[in-house]
Amino acid sequence: MASFTPNLEPAPDASLQFKPKKPRITLQTPSSCPSNQRTQRIKRWRTQRDQHIYSSKLFQALRRSRRTSASREVHETADRVLAGLARGTTRWSRAILTARKVTKHKKAKLPTNNRLRKPDIYRERRKTTAVERKLKVLGRLVPGCLKLSFSNLIEETSDYIAALEMQVRAMTAITEFLCGGTGGGPQPPADRLPSNVNS
Amino acid sequence: MSSRRSRSRQSGASRITDDQIIDLVSKLQQLIPELRGRRPDKVSASKVLQETCNYIRSLHREVDGLSDRLSQLLASTDTDSDQAAIIRSLLM
Repeated sequence: MASFTPNLEPAPDASLQFKPKKPRITLQTPSSCPSNQRTQRIKRWRTQRDQHIYSSKLFQALRRSRRTSASREVHETADRVLAGLARGTTRWSRAILTARKVTKHKKAKLPTNNRLRKPDIYRERRKTTAVERKLKVLGRLVPGCLKLSFSNLIEETSDYIAALEMQVRAMTAITEFLCGGTGGGPQPPADRLPSNVNS
Repeated sequence: MSSRRSRSRQSGASRITDDQIIDLVSKLQQLIPELRGRRPDKVSASKVLQETCNYIRSLHREVDGLSDRLSQLLASTDTDSDQAAIIRSLLM
């Protein structure tokens, strides 16, 4: 896995890029205005605009690749477009994008651990609390977030959940579009798609 | 499940402070539809985490189902339907 700079502050230009009103900022905003960053991050996956952008990109990607007859590939394409939309500002998006390039060899848990580890009576045994156990589970669910620090994990989780929700909404819309289109459905999102194509 | 929120471990330093737990609860609670209506002091950290994991899993399953449907739809509409022709003309 490529090594990333840990704990990157999400650059605000990810969300500003799609807003023509504000100038495009290439440097990171100093952390002196965390509330601004926070609201941008909150709004990030919730706007209609982001959803349209995502659904149009996904639609293009799906139409382009003819192999998408397997649902797994559709799922992976959807994840990839979603991660691409994040512009590499979040850990899970980077993890998704890099996981595609490398042939997925799942790292098995190091078997040497059991032999080298001192027996429990000699070392201070930190009883994993229920909260810690669940945090680990959460870290496994969010891609690329294994062994992440606590606060970062929370940030990644909230971003990931928002992105997943948007993914569900967008894919539902696309499905309805494809379904209802054959029946001559009402104004489909197709008329909105071209405006987002040349992004 | 005994609530360990009030107990801060000095030995070994579990590294999860009470502040972090409060932070966790406040942030994640907003995201999960089931827990949104509850007051933050009524929800324990482990419940929030549990619900978060369940929610992420259910979202994964939903995306799985949707991609399943999408793949079927795409396979069926891949050849010329008039919709596909319109879409192609719009996008390409």
